[in-house]
Amino acid sequence: MSPLRRFLRTPEAIAGAVFLAALFAVALAAPLFFPGDPQAIAGPALLPPFQDWSLPLGTDRLGRDVLAELFHGARTSLAVGLAAAAAALAVGAVIGTLAGFAGGLVDEVLMRITDAFQTVPAFLLALAFVSIVGPSLGVVVVAIALGAWTGPARVARAEVLSIRERDFVAGARVIGMHPLEIAFREVLPNALPPVMALSSVIVAAAILTEAALSFLGLGDPNRVTWGGMIAEGRAVLRTAPFLSIIPGVALVLTVLGVYLAGEGVVETTAMRRSLS
Amino acid sequence: MSEFTISRRTMLAGSALLLASTAMPTIGWAQTPKKGGRLVVAADSEPRNLNPAIVASNGVFFISSKIVETLAEASFDGKDGLDPRLALSWEGDADGLSVTFKLREGVKWHDGKPFTSADVAFSALQVWKPLQNLGRTVFKDLEAVDTPDEATAVFKFAKPTPFQLIRNALPALTSVVPKHIYETGKIEDNPANNAPVGTGPFKFAEYKPGEYYRLEKNTDYWGKDQPYLDEIIYQVLPDRTSAASALEAEEIQLAAFSAVPLADLDRISKVPGLKVITKGYEALTYQLIVEINHRRKELADLKVRQAIAHAIDKDFVVKTVFLGYAATATGPVPKNDPQFYTADVPTYDFDVAKANALLDEAGYSRGDDGKRFSLKLLPAPYFNETKQFGDYLRQALAAIGIDAQLVNNDSAAHIKAVYTDHAFDLAVGPPVFRGDPAISTTILVQSGIPDGVPFSNQGGYKNAELDALIAKASETLDTAARTELYKEFQRKVAADLPLINVAEWSFISVARDTVKNIANNPRWAVSNWADTWLEA
Repeated sequence: MSPLRRFLRTPEAIAGAVFLAALFAVALAAPLFFPGDPQAIAGPALLPPFQDWSLPLGTDRLGRDVLAELFHGARTSLAVGLAAAAAALAVGAVIGTLAGFAGGLVDEVLMRITDAFQTVPAFLLALAFVSIVGPSLGVVVVAIALGAWTGPARVARAEVLSIRERDFVAGARVIGMHPLEIAFREVLPNALPPVMALSSVIVAAAILTEAALSFLGLGDPNRVTWGGMIAEGRAVLRTAPFLSIIPGVALVLTVLGVYLAGEGVVETTAMRRSLS
Repeated sequence: MSEFTISRRTMLAGSALLLASTAMPTIGWAQTPKKGGRLVVAADSEPRNLNPAIVASNGVFFISSKIVETLAEASFDGKDGLDPRLALSWEGDADGLSVTFKLREGVKWHDGKPFTSADVAFSALQVWKPLQNLGRTVFKDLEAVDTPDEATAVFKFAKPTPFQLIRNALPALTSVVPKHIYETGKIEDNPANNAPVGTGPFKFAEYKPGEYYRLEKNTDYWGKDQPYLDEIIYQVLPDRTSAASALEAEEIQLAAFSAVPLADLDRISKVPGLKVITKGYEALTYQLIVEINHRRKELADLKVRQAIAHAIDKDFVVKTVFLGYAATATGPVPKNDPQFYTADVPTYDFDVAKANALLDEAGYSRGDDGKRFSLKLLPAPYFNETKQFGDYLRQALAAIGIDAQLVNNDSAAHIKAVYTDHAFDLAVGPPVFRGDPAISTTILVQSGIPDGVPFSNQGGYKNAELDALIAKASETLDTAARTELYKEFQRKVAADLPLINVAEWSFISVARDTVKNIANNPRWAVSNWADTWLEA
């Protein structure tokens, strides 16, 4: 059975994949459906949803189109989620490989640094980083990655520890390959699959962290973000709850989608491993 | 919307009734005040220093004005808009070099010691002039305070100081603190700053950080039969949405200073037993302004500033950002000021085509992407409304081809960025108009102010003509001539646009209808509440 077919046999995975596909479609289609500035004032303020079909989800406190904001917000959420996860995985994999392969003092130092980062709550770290450097998209990505790279680093190290004792590594040593070359060309690629399995959790957490930062006013103010939309709507929660509920539901579906699809991938690969 | 009952003092004055009826929309006959009861009020901040003589700000006054009294309080119907408190009368000499205060006799401090002119002299010379945020400017030329007897204080000025300015400064700047408590040790470190001792109708009882402040009745108060309340509790509710629910649940009886968000007012006004009161803040007007950094070459061009003024739809701002609870502004003095305001100033209608034409004329044509130039825009974070206006301004500027990048900061970082580092192109600020342009309005325009002074001209604007006008007004003693100079000031500011005034707003109170004598003076929330009472 091919991995794809196995993947398609788990209903949760299909649901997740559908959510994710829809999200990507929305993010990619945003500039097509809503060209121009999504924050432009498009109509009367606080128009409820389903009243005016040119503004199907209504407008916010300044009269901005909620649907346009939702579409463009999907771009930000996905971009931040994927970029932060990629950065965290890359940094984590490199540090874990170095620590595991070098061993000794290097291992000790790198792992204690990892411990130090792990003891500080990731969200607090992001909060502190953004408030010092100032909010912008790049800073938010770095801030989230800062708290997320430790998991991949530990997993990578554990894998490397077992791989470095294998025969092909010894073989590489014998033919005189530079240790760094062995670490990154021979060992790291073999250690990656379990590390990649963490990606779905990291992406989901990154999207949530970005939303939380925006909610607290620490997101990039020049971009629409779902967290920022929820924060905006909070002031009128009693009179116009839809302003918080709509982006909130979008956020829930996205995180759920990422998580389910990720789980599906992990299960498929696990099955393949156990079969082989 | 608001129910008005007249204060006991007004009743006694009798003759003032006719005047009062023009100032107040609905007059209900005063019911006989009932004594007793505990008033629970929402507090949204917990000022650490509660000494109003040092920190003259509304957050401090809200609590400490009940404990520490000023020489006079603002009034709707009193002479010069004032009502006597610790001073019974005030008289300025024609040469502007001295002001004589007759003080109330038989007043006691909360610790039982008598209040005398020595306390006033001490407060003026040792606290207001050297330490107070606002007093430093108004009392800068105060040289000595003579005390010929226990009930007379004569302020002596080194340079002629307009009596009108001193009068306008009385309600906010003249909190009298007890000499016998403050004369030993450093005034800033005195424990009484955190547990104030005054002459007011309520005594400071206790403070539980994060929970509440409790004030209790001063049984020795000089006002006959006053105060009516036994206790005032300031319940700390930092979350703005919780004040509305606390009012509905009858956990609190009053939420002042717009603790209930504007968007909730419409709903809450329909709740039985609650009323929304827009009066009682007339002397506490906030101004929504766009601060401009004139160091940017584009913004140094008057045409660009005019274009920005034309791009802002003030009516939209009032209607959408303030939900109607504000007024559009024409210049640096708010419309509701009875002494200085003039409507005779250059105005800027909302006209995008004209704004675009002005920018083209100034030589900033649109690039291929439709943008003329980029700006950094820093909205002040203190109010929801300033932040929202920042969002609006970004869109309004986009419509005329100016790409504004928003920069959000917390309060401390915002003050540093704008007033110390000048790291802004445009900023949105909420300065307060304090009843006289010389107190806190002219410094928004005047040049030569050192870096780091918050809420002052830090945009590098320099206009010799305006500077001369401000200097002249500060030493003009004749009230009419001085008022005329400030009208000229408004015209010049509106013409040259060192800053852009967009709107003026004040606060809203929401109270249970059992709370009586609300909003009976223009600074009600920060007045002493001696005549406030609760219907059982």
